[in-house]
Amino acid sequence: MTKHGALSVLAHIKPGMKQDAIALCEQIVAEDVETNSIIPFKKITSIHFARFVVFNESTDALGNNVAPYLIFTTNYDQPYKNHLEELVTVAGDGLWKMFSFCEDFPENIAYNREALRRYLELKTVENAVFYVGIGHRTVLQVRQENELRDQIESFIDSQQSALRDKGPVYIRKKVIEFVHNNPTLSWAKKRAPKPFILSELGFYIKLAFVCIALVVLLPLIIPFVIAWLFLILLTEITEKNVSYELDKNHIRELVERETSPVQAQFSAMGNIKPGVIRLKTMMFLLNMTNFLAPYIYSKGKLSGIPTVHFARWVIVNDGKQMIFLSNFDGNSESYLRDFINIAGKQLSLMFCHTVGYPKTRLMIYGGADDANGFMNWARKFQTITNVWYTANKEVSVKNIFNNSKIRDGLYGSMNEKEAAHWLSLL
Amino acid sequence: MEILELKDIQGIIIRGYSNLPAAAFLLLRISDPTLAKKWLHVVSPEITSGEERKPELALNIALTFNAMAALGLNKQVLDTFPLEFEDGMITKHKQLFLGDFGESAPDNWEWGGKNTDEVHILLMLYATDAGALQNLQDKHIAQLGRYGLSEVTKLDTSVLYERKEHFGFQDGISQPTIKGLSRQDEPENMVSTGEFILGYKNEYNQYTPTPTAGDKDAAECLPPSKAKLGKYDLGKNGSYMVFRQLKQDVELFWNYMQKSTQKENGESDAKEMVKLAAKMVGRWPGGAPVIVCPDEEIKDHNNDNKFDYRSVDELGLRCPFASHIRRSHPRDALDMDRLASMKVANKHRILRRGRSYGQPVTEEMKPQDILQVKDIQGERGLHFICFNADLGRQFEFIQNAWVNNPKFNGLHDERDPIIGNHHYPSDHKTTGTFTIPDKTLRKRFTDVPEFVTVKGGAYFFMPGIRALKYLSCL
Ligand code: HEM
Repeated sequence: MTKHGALSVLAHIKPGMKQDAIALCEQIVAEDVETNSIIPFKKITSIHFARFVVFNESTDALGNNVAPYLIFTTNYDQPYKNHLEELVTVAGDGLWKMFSFCEDFPENIAYNREALRRYLELKTVENAVFYVGIGHRTVLQVRQENELRDQIESFIDSQQSALRDKGPVYIRKKVIEFVHNNPTLSWAKKRAPKPFILSELGFYIKLAFVCIALVVLLPLIIPFVIAWLFLILLTEITEKNVSYELDKNHIRELVERETSPVQAQFSAMGNIKPGVIRLKTMMFLLNMTNFLAPYIYSKGKLSGIPTVHFARWVIVNDGKQMIFLSNFDGNSESYLRDFINIAGKQLSLMFCHTVGYPKTRLMIYGGADDANGFMNWARKFQTITNVWYTANKEVSVKNIFNNSKIRDGLYGSMNEKEAAHWLSLL
Repeated sequence: MEILELKDIQGIIIRGYSNLPAAAFLLLRISDPTLAKKWLHVVSPEITSGEERKPELALNIALTFNAMAALGLNKQVLDTFPLEFEDGMITKHKQLFLGDFGESAPDNWEWGGKNTDEVHILLMLYATDAGALQNLQDKHIAQLGRYGLSEVTKLDTSVLYERKEHFGFQDGISQPTIKGLSRQDEPENMVSTGEFILGYKNEYNQYTPTPTAGDKDAAECLPPSKAKLGKYDLGKNGSYMVFRQLKQDVELFWNYMQKSTQKENGESDAKEMVKLAAKMVGRWPGGAPVIVCPDEEIKDHNNDNKFDYRSVDELGLRCPFASHIRRSHPRDALDMDRLASMKVANKHRILRRGRSYGQPVTEEMKPQDILQVKDIQGERGLHFICFNADLGRQFEFIQNAWVNNPKFNGLHDERDPIIGNHHYPSDHKTTGTFTIPDKTLRKRFTDVPEFVTVKGGAYFFMPGIRALKYLSCL
């Protein structure tokens, strides 16, 4: 079983160097994201998704200027140590070049592996929330299981007349034989590693513990929550509503970059509303989400949205700004509509603390119900993702789950009914 | 309940003029804006409004973004039109978003494309019969030159047997019912007026973004905008119209169905052939939905339009996930509970108002007859026309997130078998895949050709009648 990690390396870009950073990103894209000479992503086998984003200089909610940022993120297969090692080994030169545009980078020395490693660690920021939609699969497993499915489908196509009138158990047997006789699929003779019972158990013990604590403390918590909600409501009423007009060219720039037929990405940065109530509330909600995500958002659905591979929230600049990054199926236009149509309330809860979000009441009412306001807000804060890499670009979240179920069905015995059900996955 | 200003809404948005089978569409270019405005002024009294129930003749007008720029609408006002409308169908991004590749690429279009004359105005003419249409058409064509307009092309239409389309399937059965009209329908199929007509509340209980103007003339001609204080609503009672000329290769269609279902001894299997086509469409030729009659056509169900997908057919055993109607209007099939799915699906509806063109291959378009015809001549297809208030959320979404999305409905690699495009730059092959789930083993077709080719197209704005007057006075 694999656990996933989300590396976020964030640094301010030195004055005058933003264009250089952008140009290097452009070179990566121009050469080809997968195979370029600077950061040959395809060779870094622990990466599911990665990106570089240059966030422009901005002003926070209190009017302070913020220098431009460079963020480098990966969604990787644990352990972290191996991932970092692989990054430095395969892409050390490129990362060195990229981060040399950033502040606190070692000056005047030639490429030095250890110095790069130290810098990456120094600039690594913690994610407030890390959401995983694809379960516990490694990059390789996702790819292999997709190949497995393709090969089984082609096999069945080639045998259509021989299998047509046979029963499910017989057909399944033939498929298993085909897999076993196919050297390129020899890995599929074994089951995929399952989550360790013990760590699962640990998971649920923790959850149970939290629930019990909640129940015990309920009498204390309720008045506190009521008072808190009252404060929130007061804040919401007194805050001014900011609304945005769409800048068509900004949207054109964003959508023109979405050329991948199956998956897309979203990067955004916004200001957090000033005041301690907002910040504390938001941090509490984000922490809760991060803790509960594995329990309530399992089976590949983020608040009912069945298309998100990975997502993360990062709070930066001493709690003044929020970065949100995600990798999903489809394109940003349909993704944002899914948000509004399916998970409006949950998203309002998480995002209403940022400036410009359509006005809410008690954090869930209103908000994304204002569909036009939500779209404008989201587009306003969405930024160009300068470099974006995906390792398994041909699979949707649903495909990944389905492929695993197909593989799971290769083991053990099944009766006619079970075999028929398994065949319906094809 | 909002009252619809039928008098100000152009008639084709309200009804399909089924009593006027003869129709022609004139695509015009403005060469002299001043004269063209005069023309708008002169024809506007002839425009058929939504109030006229059974007109003997009908005339409606729609304009492209560039037309309004040419007429002199100022940049500030033009900017209030949505991006999707402004950019049209042929930018690089739109080509990808709508899936117009291969033969269907805008480089090959006969009008509205990359290498063709600019289109500004669409004049839609309808009459009870060919003779009356001819008269109407002659009259209008005769005066174009005088009013600074030139004809880019004229698109004729044809009336097919029992109002089928060229593949021989009943069309136009399922339409959303506009809430503001006094027509009755199942509640799930009643859709807010603002989904189709600007200036009314939509399914989000909001006003769909609408173009506005602030000048003195606007104040005189146009109603105040409900969404933007101090502005006047140029969009009120208008709608966005999608026009795509879709060529249908009838010969290829039925040859494919025949070849793919023939028995081992090479004989064709008439029943299986029609069934395969029906599974692709989602309805039998007569109209009966395959979700209701999965094995054979039952006439009593020809007009059925109240049915579920997921609640009765989770595995797609009756109606394949990839079929044209299960993906262009998924009803309860989306991955969420039934009511939520219906509600979400209703945020992506369109009002279809298309007409066929070209001679049918055979009078009744029965597959067996079609297959007998040697050396089929001429071009035929569908002038696909639909109305919506938000191009991005409705037509474009259907086309992109559903029709041409190979992953829709949990599929792995299947686009719409009837209208999907299989020439995306990223495609491994240039044919489509279509799976018919079965109780034991699915049937899969991996060599589905494109039966439909885009020959031209544009987005138009069909203004309310007052708004058209405003435009004629610029
Ligand atoms: C030549 C091209 C096309 C053909 C032959 C065709 C054919 C059909 C047929 C036979 C039906 C079933 C009749 C009905 O339910 O009314 C149908 C329904 C439908 N089609 Fe198409 N169609 C074509 C193009 C398109 C396009 C381009 C779109 C939109 C992107 C579209 C969207 C729809 C919708 C929304 C329905 C109604 C589905 C429902 O509500 O159940 N069609 N089409």
